Amino acid sequence: MIETQELTKHYRDVKAVDGLNLTVYEGEIFGFLGPNGSGKTTTLLMLMGLTIPTSGTAKVGGYDIIKDSREIRKIAGMLPEGAGYYEDLTAKQNLDYIGQLNDIPKTEREKRTKDLLEAVDLAKWTDTKVEKFSRGMKQRLGIAEVLIKQPKIAFFDEPTIGLDPQGTKEIRDMLFRLNKEQGLTVFLSSHLMYEVQQTCRRVGFIRQGKLIAADTIENLSNKLSGKGKMAIEFELSEISPVLVQEIEDVNGVTSVDQENRKLYVYMELDRSKEVSETIMKHGTTILLMRPKEYKLEEVFLEYYKEEA
Amino acid sequence: MAGTMTVCRKELADHVGSKRYIVLFALILALSTLSAYQGAEFIRNNPRAGFMAIFSGARFGFAFTSLMVFFGPIIGLALGFDAINKERTSGSLSVLLSQPIYRDSVINGKFLGGTVALSILTVSTIGIMCGVAMPILGFGPALEDVSRIALFTLLTIFYLAFWLALGLVYSTITKKTSTSILMSVSTWLFFSIVITIVAMLVANMIVPIITFTGPGGGPGGFNQTQTSEYRERIQRWAAIQTNIQRISPAYLYSEASSSIVGMIGGGGFIGGGGMIGGGGTPFRALQLTQGLASSWPQITAIAVYLVICFVASYMLFLRLEIRAGG
Repeated sequence: MIETQELTKHYRDVKAVDGLNLTVYEGEIFGFLGPNGSGKTTTLLMLMGLTIPTSGTAKVGGYDIIKDSREIRKIAGMLPEGAGYYEDLTAKQNLDYIGQLNDIPKTEREKRTKDLLEAVDLAKWTDTKVEKFSRGMKQRLGIAEVLIKQPKIAFFDEPTIGLDPQGTKEIRDMLFRLNKEQGLTVFLSSHLMYEVQQTCRRVGFIRQGKLIAADTIENLSNKLSGKGKMAIEFELSEISPVLVQEIEDVNGVTSVDQENRKLYVYMELDRSKEVSETIMKHGTTILLMRPKEYKLEEVFLEYYKEEA
Repeated sequence: MAGTMTVCRKELADHVGSKRYIVLFALILALSTLSAYQGAEFIRNNPRAGFMAIFSGARFGFAFTSLMVFFGPIIGLALGFDAINKERTSGSLSVLLSQPIYRDSVINGKFLGGTVALSILTVSTIGIMCGVAMPILGFGPALEDVSRIALFTLLTIFYLAFWLALGLVYSTITKKTSTSILMSVSTWLFFSIVITIVAMLVANMIVPIITFTGPGGGPGGFNQTQTSEYRERIQRWAAIQTNIQRISPAYLYSEASSSIVGMIGGGGFIGGGGMIGGGGTPFRALQLTQGLASSWPQITAIAVYLVICFVASYMLFLRLEIRAGG
């Protein structure tokens, strides 16, 4: 759905985006992660044809971002960071204006406006001026504006920034639903790890304009620093150095990390049975045992460390 | 084109519904009605003055032409100064530009919408002025007057559209509306008031005029002003002043409208002093063709200003970088 080749954007001497090669497949929710100022927004602006790349090319939905940017804007919607609305117009008027700009015929436009305002839970506020809206309501209106053109792909730039947990969850659920029901490809740019982990399967990490990794969260965490394919977290009543040594000697275990009364055991193969037997032989009680889950944050930071 | 019309319709609706426009409209309408009464009064006292004097006959700078010279910049700039940067700060510009329209549609639509709003203001004000004056006078405009009114209306719309385009330039080059409003106000002050003073100063520097308070005292000074050399000096002084003032679109408009509408005495430019005490001098109206011919250079100059400003705002907007964080 999206394919960029050496996409580059310089602002004077700052390289905002630097030789970006990225692929996003149709029908997926892709998470685009990076700290503030790493080039996420600039990438989105280039993909939507709002700003022109210094060099490199990209295609969105098969259209070239320079030559056919208007065609892209027909099939792609974007909710920009800090999107604004016409405060002295009502929700309906705002949405209708966007509909007009998309050349949607009047009757169809009215129908979509009504349906969408219901879908984003703003039906009660249809004729209320946007200046009275809360941040979350405005953001939901923004999503409706993205959807009124019935896009094939939707770009969301930090859609939940500044929203309360309730608002964040509502927006996340909405993205899931659209992706599932309408097969909408979602490109979610964010610096909030938790949000991306909850929403996306594939992610890309961007750092100073360069893509440093792009894969599923699972694969990325598995690839991490050769610590093995599996990791198990134990919480024990007591830990002695001898025990740690013995666990390390179990065939298939690659390394053991100790953190207070917790042990993280990394292994090539599933050796959880052998490891727990070893622990019990020492007369130590296992208080907790569970597969260690990587938080996206850790994965991200690992990749960052490596690159730096 | 579809995008242009959509933007235009929205801008027009925004303007016409805005407090800013309504207040300005009410102000202009109130002053113009007053001016039409005064103009009609003037025509009754000066039987030789034609119908067109309702636009220029009022005294003390109250003539419609003078009102427009003075208030025109405010009206035009008021509709244009925040057209782009307001959308930029609010974040609606990037939403707007993510729609399948060309970028020119936005700037064209905004200019068109503003121009239509200005045309509504001009046409209805001039129409109401005619409506007010006719019952008082007991006669309406002659056929030639009608075409003159049409021409004058067009000139006024042109003139206002120029200020609108200048406002658009300011709103494109600045990020904050507070900056562009300051630029607008200073431009208005400069072209309406400061340039007259500057023109006088420059003229004084080039052709110093020894005034009545010269060393010769009262009678000597009087004799001095009667010499042909002195008169020539005055003429050169005035020519320099006029030419400097002609930089100002407001002055160009006042000259052009004087030629089309007809004028009293010498010139109607605000601060020029022509209006005050001008009531006694005979009203001079040119034929329509004569008026058009003599105002042609000014009309052309205003048109050139308008085109330059519009093209500038167009180019600036097309090159405007939409960046992260506005």
